[in-house]
Order: sequence, then structure tokens, then C-alpha cells
Amino acid sequence: MPSCVRQRMAVFRLRSSLALVGMGLLLAALPGALQAQRPIPPPHFAIQNARIVTGSGQTIDRGTIVMENGLITAVGSNARIPDGAWVIDGEGLTVYPGLIDAMSNIALPASMRAAADRGRGAGQAEQEQAAYSWGPEDRPATFTWMSAADDLNIQDDAIETWRNAGFTSVVATPERGIFPGQSAVINLAGDRARDMVVRTPVALRVNFRAGAGHTGFPNSLFGGIAYVKQSFIDAAHYDRAWTIYDNSPAGLERPQYDRALEPLRVALNTNSYVLLPGDWAYEVQRAVKIGGQMGVNTMVYGARQGYQIADEMAAQDIPVLLDVNWPEPPRDADPEADVALRMLRFRDRAPTTPAEFERAGVQFAFYSGGAEPDKMLANVRKSIALGFSPDAALRAFTLSPAELFGVSDRLGSLEAGKIANVIVTDGDLFGADTKVTMVFVDGRRFETGVETLAQAEEEEEEGEAGEEEPGEPEEVLPPVPMVQDRGPIDPADVTVIQNATILTVSQGTIENGSILIRDGKIAEIGTDIRVPGNAKVIDASGKYVTPGIIDEHSHTAADAVNEGSIAVSSMVTTEDVINPDDVAIYRAAAGGVTTASILHGSANPIGGQKAMIKMRWGETSDGLMFDGAPPGLKMALGENVKRDRDPDRYPGSRMGVMDVIRQALLDAQEYQAEWDAYNQLSERERRNAIPPRRDLKLEPLTEVLDGSRLVHAHAYRADETLQLMRLAEEFGFRIATLIHVLEGYKVADEIAEHGAGGSTFSDWWAYKMEAYDAIPYNAALMTERGVLSCINSDSDEEMRHLNQEAAKAMKWGGMSEEEALKLVTLNPAIMLGIDDRVGSIEVGKDADLVIYTNHPLSVYSVVEKTLIDGQVYFDREHDRALRQQLEQEKQALLEKEEGEQERPRVTTDSDWEEVQR
Amino acid sequence: MKTTRSVTILVLAVFFGVAGLAAQAIAIRGGTVHTLAGPAIEGGTVVIENGLITAVGTNVSVPAGAQIVDATGLHVYPGLFDAMSRLGLTEVGAVDVTNDYMELGDYNPHLLAMTAVHPASEHIPVARANGITHTVAAPNARGGGIGGQGSLIHLDGWTVEEMVIEPSVGLILSWPSIQTRRFDYATYSSTERSFREAREEYEADIKELEGWLEGAHQYKTALQAGIDVERDLKLEALVKVIDGELPFLVSANSEREINDALDFASENGVRMVLVNGREAWKVAERLADENVPVILGPTQTLPRNEDWGYDQMYAVPGQLYSAGVKFCFASFSASASRNLPYEAGNAVGYGLPQEEALRALTINSAEILGVGDRLGTIEPGKIGNLVVTDGDPIEIRTQFLHLVVNGLISSSDNKHKSLYERYRARPQP
Repeated sequence: MPSCVRQRMAVFRLRSSLALVGMGLLLAALPGALQAQRPIPPPHFAIQNARIVTGSGQTIDRGTIVMENGLITAVGSNARIPDGAWVIDGEGLTVYPGLIDAMSNIALPASMRAAADRGRGAGQAEQEQAAYSWGPEDRPATFTWMSAADDLNIQDDAIETWRNAGFTSVVATPERGIFPGQSAVINLAGDRARDMVVRTPVALRVNFRAGAGHTGFPNSLFGGIAYVKQSFIDAAHYDRAWTIYDNSPAGLERPQYDRALEPLRVALNTNSYVLLPGDWAYEVQRAVKIGGQMGVNTMVYGARQGYQIADEMAAQDIPVLLDVNWPEPPRDADPEADVALRMLRFRDRAPTTPAEFERAGVQFAFYSGGAEPDKMLANVRKSIALGFSPDAALRAFTLSPAELFGVSDRLGSLEAGKIANVIVTDGDLFGADTKVTMVFVDGRRFETGVETLAQAEEEEEEGEAGEEEPGEPEEVLPPVPMVQDRGPIDPADVTVIQNATILTVSQGTIENGSILIRDGKIAEIGTDIRVPGNAKVIDASGKYVTPGIIDEHSHTAADAVNEGSIAVSSMVTTEDVINPDDVAIYRAAAGGVTTASILHGSANPIGGQKAMIKMRWGETSDGLMFDGAPPGLKMALGENVKRDRDPDRYPGSRMGVMDVIRQALLDAQEYQAEWDAYNQLSERERRNAIPPRRDLKLEPLTEVLDGSRLVHAHAYRADETLQLMRLAEEFGFRIATLIHVLEGYKVADEIAEHGAGGSTFSDWWAYKMEAYDAIPYNAALMTERGVLSCINSDSDEEMRHLNQEAAKAMKWGGMSEEEALKLVTLNPAIMLGIDDRVGSIEVGKDADLVIYTNHPLSVYSVVEKTLIDGQVYFDREHDRALRQQLEQEKQALLEKEEGEQERPRVTTDSDWEEVQR
Repeated sequence: MKTTRSVTILVLAVFFGVAGLAAQAIAIRGGTVHTLAGPAIEGGTVVIENGLITAVGTNVSVPAGAQIVDATGLHVYPGLFDAMSRLGLTEVGAVDVTNDYMELGDYNPHLLAMTAVHPASEHIPVARANGITHTVAAPNARGGGIGGQGSLIHLDGWTVEEMVIEPSVGLILSWPSIQTRRFDYATYSSTERSFREAREEYEADIKELEGWLEGAHQYKTALQAGIDVERDLKLEALVKVIDGELPFLVSANSEREINDALDFASENGVRMVLVNGREAWKVAERLADENVPVILGPTQTLPRNEDWGYDQMYAVPGQLYSAGVKFCFASFSASASRNLPYEAGNAVGYGLPQEEALRALTINSAEILGVGDRLGTIEPGKIGNLVVTDGDPIEIRTQFLHLVVNGLISSSDNKHKSLYERYRARPQP
């Protein structure tokens, strides 16, 4: 519906309400800019005969509210009106506490705004000026010392726009970089910037991505997360160091002052809120987990997919700033674009989040998330239509944010003694046609809607009043039912697979065999198994059963792959960025893959820490983790590492690559020695000794040195492979797997002697120089020379047919069926240190099994079912049926969205012209 | 033993190769001959003379002096056809100076792949060792542009002149696409631009293509009218397309692009072969109706949209077959050309009949590229490109034991095999 029509209607209603309070129309003649700066100043106001919604639980049907000197002095049905007060007749009007936008960039200077908000090119210009960050020590994208309260821009036009819409306060929150600075609660009025500040600082916002205008570390999601973690560790250490030093400085080296850490130190010591980002449910879970690891008082912002995790949020008692800028179809999108069901569901259900939060008891407040105030209110109206209570809606706009930011003693409700932030409406706040007629900030009165009135005059002169009936309240349809498309299919505690050809991998082949699965483990294997009464039976006549496929090297489901800004990025961990919504997990299961090692990329000599996951589609990212798997760290050699970069990044040659690794290991030794020395101090000595700083980069390297963390090293050429093994031997550890190791066959004896596994591609070659001598016989030849070998995918596609890739080792090099199958099952399990759990069909191991229609080493084999921990996560027949249901759901969502869309879809140029008009 | 024999044959081949084809005769005896032009012939014999198949059957006389390939217990198939590849045009992907598959400029209809084919490329024997005996080496085109002409070559020969079967089988046209997502260096992230803007660019690209065809028409008319126009190699190449002498090999992926390309082809009266066709399955009916064949892009690839069935791409060959679309497989690669049989094999599990998989590696490819009379089956008169295997050629563990390329016994030696043998023989240190 065209917005101009709505505005016109508003105008008529406004005029009558203005007449009621006796304001006349004289203000209409004033130029807009002047109005903005000239509130009506008498110190005392009283609104009588109004409906008063106090926001603290009480509604007075007909009462009086008195404001004196900026404060509310009385609220009640019989409140006394002081002499000399300007009395406003509130007949037909409703009084509410002023609304609060719980996170806003209103009144922030450009330096505190995200680059995207400052127009195109802003980021680029900054980036050109910014120094490249080489690590956490450079305090990248950090502005913690900047405080919104100190640099408010009172000229910001948005102040008036928002105030007119009923917003009397916002939590002004810097938004640029990783640590943008300190938030303040501000009132949206004042002669000087300092008049606006209600309380500061109230919170510290964190972004996990540095955003535009930043160059160098971190340049990835997990880099950002690692940096945030390190910063809080540093702040705690900083606090400790200064406390010890201030206590007794004699003989101690003075700690270095750090303006970046000071505010973090305060945040830790005062337990004030740290705002962590998370929009999709899994991102919220990630933020909560990371906040917990850091020991900060977490408040999540975003949470538009909160509807999915409301109970969990309530149970964890995590407060939320909810972004009410609900996701919508983009303007002018490709009409033929195939929007993913996941996105359609998100758009359909995000508005149900407030109701879900209310039901579950989550403490939350609303923020605008870039929406304009009328849009924000309209969005909340939509949520109300979907079952969210208007009382809770008011609360999320008033008392809740006041409570969350520690100002409920002065803001958030209409109570005597509180700041006189008051709004007056001509109806229910969340009514579709309700207008805010008056706003009081700090007890000063502001008229609203004057400009609208002037427009009305103009339009009337044009002779088209455009009077229309007030629109029917927008019809809001309930969300389209969601098809259950994740999680185990027909779960059972006891399952028997019968009549199968079982390729155990470790104990030969069993024809016509059965496998009994109990509580996720293989309980019995044989040809004569009694089926327990409660068992689910899977008939696998004519089918083949193998252990679940294990992919030794993958990047599946990772929201970040490389932190390539620096040569050593061991502080990042893939565990922080596993995305359980990634459909690649399901596809992998459909390809028979049950376990994968999710590794950092090969951009630097020492990369990040790995995540081991099982393809339990439907679980949270924590639920995907392979518990108990040894931790791992990525290293990489050769072309990917030394490739040209801007700016130059050492190393640029294979010489430098070895140097970087050697130096990092030396640093780790040094670091360990520092800790050892500190740990040897007596309790008393420690009281006056500043402990070493915990270093997330060096910690995993000390674990490499003591053998508790596996090294997975990306290597191509034989020479670098040899060099790395010798380097490891120099430091007394073993390389667990040499990844790709395409020339492994040239130094197979040396690899076997070192004891590294060789994890290679089946037959990729010649895509770069160091792959020119790759041969498809590599796995067979390495095996022949005693190297434990496996075949990895490094690709979401290739991983879906690793069984076929393994079969190639039979062709190129003459491996036996069993040896070939081991390349993608038992061998990678051994390399990854999980062969006690997976990799073969043996009693006591996890029931990770694949049922194939044909021999798994045949090109014609198709995965029919995949079991993980005894549960069926993929079933081809079920998949077919599910697909139809999902397609129907998608169609229903598309039709619903089509019906809701006001904008015509742009399909032709003439459509476009229409829209522009 | 086997090695010695093939070495002997190789020596002979080299000798006869140098001496010319004239005296060359080969008889493959005793195997099951899968002619793909009729039922398999058990214990059949195939005779190849002067580069061509001269006889196929159980009762065939072998010319005196013919080289004999004993295929007893083995299988004889037509040589596999990689319908579009970069074989001979690239050596090491990441090393730019070894790449010759893409020229500067958007419109290069006159360029001929064979002029850059490197007969000594290590990729050629590697692909051949897995049964690929011929391919269309094809240049790449930029989006909306014409990359040049694909050349059909044997995967053996001392010079490109010995390798070439057909200098040109068509012009490679990369259909423009509507890209709303773009990388924005200002914010260092990918941004969406308006659909309208992207669509305008798309339409302008199509207009420009039409402009080229219009130019070709005018050029042709001028020449016919005897007007003395300067010779224009690009327009000359395009005249072959408007005359129907060569098809446009149109690379297009989305449903919209495929439909628009089909419209373009019919409106401009040019022959079209669809190349890649990621969403060809959505347009299958129309492709069948309009008789437009498809050189299918990689199917062992991820579905484009997360909502597509997990096996959607694996199922494409079966879907096209069921809809009656003629299609064939191609690697679009050099190093991965040898995996083409497995792509076909994989499709069988997802609905393509096994025999059709084989046809889509042989006769379909030949027919689509206009050489069905010379390649693709084992029939007298066809070019002597054959393979002898110990089993199903699209099954992974099957070995290609003998190769006949261009009527000559060819070697399965290659860089990989020799590295294997060399390092396998490395003494224990």
C-alpha cells in the first residue's frame, strides 16, 4: 500500500488532536529546522484526563501525569497539578513511557559508524590509510577507548525523526571494527551533546568481523573470534599485572599502559555487558559459547532466528537485543532467483521471535537494526499479530532495555522520580494508524508531525485530499508449517542390519551377515544374530555394508577457512566456525561420509586448529563435534604459502617457510619455559610476580611440541616433505599426516621411517607446478613402501564419492579391495587417532555404517543409507519423499510472500518505471 | 611380458608411423566387440587398414602382414571421445605461460584451437591411457563472448597435422549471464547490485552478439555482390555459422540463459549445441522438441541451490536421456580428462542406462559434433580409434590394455606410469 496514502490519513487525525490541546496551527508556519531546535520550555507540565500506561504494570484509564523540572513528579488518577503548570487535556489520548532503541548509531560521529553507513568508498579510503595488522598485538580494528558519550553529534537529523516517532532514548553504540567502543544511554534532546547522556559507559559491543576499512589480521571470522578471545585474556592479564605492580612496584618492571585494554579491564571487573553478534540460531549459540569461554557477561544482539532457540536462551539466562528489522525479500531482486528454503523460512518466522521469547521467558529488548522508526513499529505490530502480547512489546521498548543497561531506576516507565521521557499518542501505541502527537524528553515538550501537517495543506491546495478509509489492519498469516527435514530418521536404540555383505575392513568380508547396533555402538556382528524384540530391522539383502567413510581433509561446513593475513595463525580454530546449517553436511552423509577432519586452509606455514565432526545433520555445531578426538593443527608448505601477497608477507620461498615454522616452534619453547619457571614459584613468590601472558597462538604449538596435538601438514613436493619431517624430528615430534603429499611416493621410505601418514588425492594433478609430478599410483606406492595412506577430498563434491576415489588405487597400483577401502575408512581413522571408535566394523566401535546398493568400489554403487552412532541420518527413499514435502513447503512460502509483498515485482522495464514512480 | 609386447608394438608403430599409413593393417582378434551399432559380437575380429576400420565380424579375413592384437577374453570398444577439453592447450593450470586456451578480447570467432595444440603435452598420453582416443580441444570464451573454434584431434600423433580430424567443429560462444552479485572493493565484500542494472548489461551483451551476426550477413552480402571489401577474418568465421556450416557451441547454464540462447539461435537461424547446461534438466522438453543436443558440463559437482536434491547433478544425464535429449559427456579439462568414463559410470547409478552412458562417451559425442559418420562406433568405414579392455570401460578398476588411435597401435605409456615405475624401483635408502 502506497505510503503517501497513510501519511495523508495521519495528517487528518493529527490535526484534530492538536486542536484538542489548543496548540493551533501556528507552528505549521515555522520552518522545519527551527522547530527541531526549539522545544517548548515551561518547567511544569500536567496531562490530565488521559489514559496512562505506566509501563510498570499499571494502566490508569483516566489520570494525570505531572512533570516538573525534567522529572515525573506524579502519576495517578488524582495527582495534584502544581500551580503554574501548563495543563494539557489528554481526553482521548494515551500516555506512554518514551521508547528506547536498544542499539542505535543515532548521534554517533562518522568515526564510530560502520563503513557501510558512511557511503561507498569510505572503507576503501580507510583501508588505504590503515596500517596492516600483523596480529593481536597491533590491536586491529580496536577502538575500545572511544566512547559514544564523548563525541555525540547533536546535529544528526535522525534525532528528530526518531523522537517524533516516540523514541526518547537510544543506546548509542559505536559499530565500527571489532571493538567499536563504549555505548551510552542517551536522551534524544538537549542543547548540548553532554545534556543527552543518561549513563555511560553501559556496554561494549563486539563484532567478530573487522569490516571495511581494515587490513591485515584478522581477515576471517575465526581470526576475529580468536582476536576477541585474546583481547579479553590480555585484559585480565593487564589487570593482574597492574594490580601486582601497583601493590608493590619495587623491583618490578612496569607494565605497559594500553588504552585498548583499559576499557576491557573495566568491563571484566564490573561485569558489564559485552554485546556479541549472532543472528541465525547457530550464530547466537556460537556467541553464547564464546562469551562463556571468555568469562564475560554476554548479551547477544541480532537473534532474528531466536524463534528456534527461545527455550535454550531462557534456560541459559542470556539477555538479547533483538533486531526487529525482519528479513525481507531484497528490492529489485532477480525475479527468477531461486531463493533457498532456509531463507524463506527465516523471513517467514523471524517475526515470531518476540512471541517465542515471551513464551519462554527470555529477557530481551528491541533494536532497530537499520530500520526506520515507522518500519520498526510496523514490524513489532506484525509480531503482535502473531501472538506477541502488546504489554511485552511495550516492555521490550521501555523497561527491558532500561533494565538491561542499568537505567531502570531513571528510565523505562512512568513513575514519580524518573526522568520525564513521555510520549502521547492518539490511540494504542501498536495500533496501525496510531500517531505520536507529543513527546517529552527530560520534561521538555516536542511537537511531532508538524511537517506532515504542512504537507497536508499543500496537498489540499492541489485539490486532492486523497481521503481514504483507514486500511483494514494488515492481515498477518501464521507461519507456514515447517517440514521436519533434519535429524535421525525413525530413531531407534536397537537396530539390526540383516542379510548384507559386510565389508568389515579389519576382519574380512561376511556374506549374508547381520550387525546388531545397541545405543549407538556395534554390539554384534555375524551370520547368526538373534533379533531383539525391540529392534528396528533394516533388510540389506543384496546390499553392501561398509564402515562410514572418513574424510581426512575437508573444509565442509566451515564459515571460515583461512586466516591468511599472517604467517602463523595457530590462534584460530575451526571449532569456532562450524556452521550446522550447511547443507554440505547432509550431502556428505548422503555420500557415505560419517566423519571428517575440518581443517584450516593452506595460506600460511602454520594455520589454525581443526574441528573433527560427524555428519549428524540437524545437530548444533557442538553436537556435530567428534568428542574425544585428538586436537590438531594445520601446517602448510609450498606454493600456496609463498605465493605473492600484498603487502609482501614473509615467507616468499621454501627457505622462509621452514624458517617461519622453526622460529614459531622456538617461540613456543621459550613460552613454555616462561610458564614452567612461573609455575615453579611458590605461592608467596607468585603474589609479587607478574605471570606470563597467555598466548593463544603459542599454546597450541606447545601442545605440538609435547605430542598432544596432531600436526596435519599440507605438502606437495618430496623435498619440502622431507624438510618438514626433519624439522619436526629436530623438535622431537612427529607429523601426524602429510596432506596431499602428491610426491610422497618419491620419499615413501623416509615418510614410513618418520611415521607420518600420507593423505593424498586419488588422481588430481598439474593444476599447479608442485602438482606436476603427482601420480594416481601415489596411494598404492606409498602403501607398498610402508606408509599408512589415505585418500582425502578437500572438496565438498569429491567427498561424496570417496569410495570411488579409493577404487582408483586398485586400478593405479593394483591394491586389493580391502586395502583400497581402508584408504577411506580405517587408515584415516588411525591417522586421526580415532581408530578406537571408528574406521572398521568391529564390536564396540561406533555404529557408523554405510549401506550401498552395489560394491562400494564400483562406479555404479549408490549410498542407500548412512548410519551415524546407530541412527539413520540418510535414507535415499526417505530423501525422495522428503524432497516432495519440502518442495510443497517452499511453494507455500513463495505464495505467501508473494501475497504479502506490496512492491510489484520488477520483471520488465515498464514495471521498473512504475516502481520508480 | 605384456610390457615387452607393447614395447615391440610401439616400436613397430613408430616405424610404420614414420613410413606413413599406407602399409598399416591391424587385426584385433578374439574379443567381444561392442560395436555400439548393433549387438556385441563374441569372438569377433576388427580389421583396420590405412587408418580406417575395414571389417568387423566373426568371419572376417585378416589381411596378410597385419599386426595382430590378441583380444581373447577381452572387450573391444570404440575409442572414448572427450567432447570438449583443454587437452593440448594447457600444461600447468597455475602457470600462466603454459596456458593457451584463452585469448585476449571478447570476440575471437576466427581463432582455431589446433593452432595452439601442443602434441607433446604430458596430458595427452595420460588421458589416452584411460581410453580417451580423441577430443575436441576447445578455447574458452569470456562471458558473452566468442572464444574461437574447437578442433577435433586424435590423442596421438607426432605433429598436430597428424592429430587433426576436423580443424573446426564449431564456434565456442559463452552466453552472457545476469550477475547481480559482485565483489565490491570499497567494502571488501560481495554486494548485490540491482537486477535491472545486471539485466541491462545482459541485454546489451546479447545485442552485441546479434550485431556480430548482422555484420556477418552484411559481409557475406557484400562479397556476393562482388563489392571489394577488406577481408575480415572474424566475420568470415561467423559467415560459416550463419550459413549453417558450423554450429555455435553455446555455453549456458541457467534456465533463463539456456532459453534465451535457444531463442537467439532460432531467431538468428543458426545451429546450436548447448554446452555445460547446468540447468538443462529444467529445459529438457524444449531441448528435445527443438532437437538441440547437449555437451554436458561436469555432473560430479555440487547442486547449485541448497534445495536441489543432493543427487540432482548426478541425475542430469538420466533425466536428459528420459526426456529424449541427445547429450554427451565432456571433461572441459586436460588433467581430468581421464576421469570422463567414471562420470558416465556414476550417472548409471542415478538413472542412466549403462549402454546410454557408453553412447554418451562415443557415438552421441560424434553425432553431436557432426562426425557421426567417421567416429563413435565400430563399423567399416569409420576411423580406427578403438580400445581393448579387460571389462566394462566405465568401471573404475577396468584396465585399458590396447589402444588404437588413428588406425595405429598407440602406447599407454605416460608420465605417470614412468614416474611410478621409476620410483617403485628406487632402492631402499
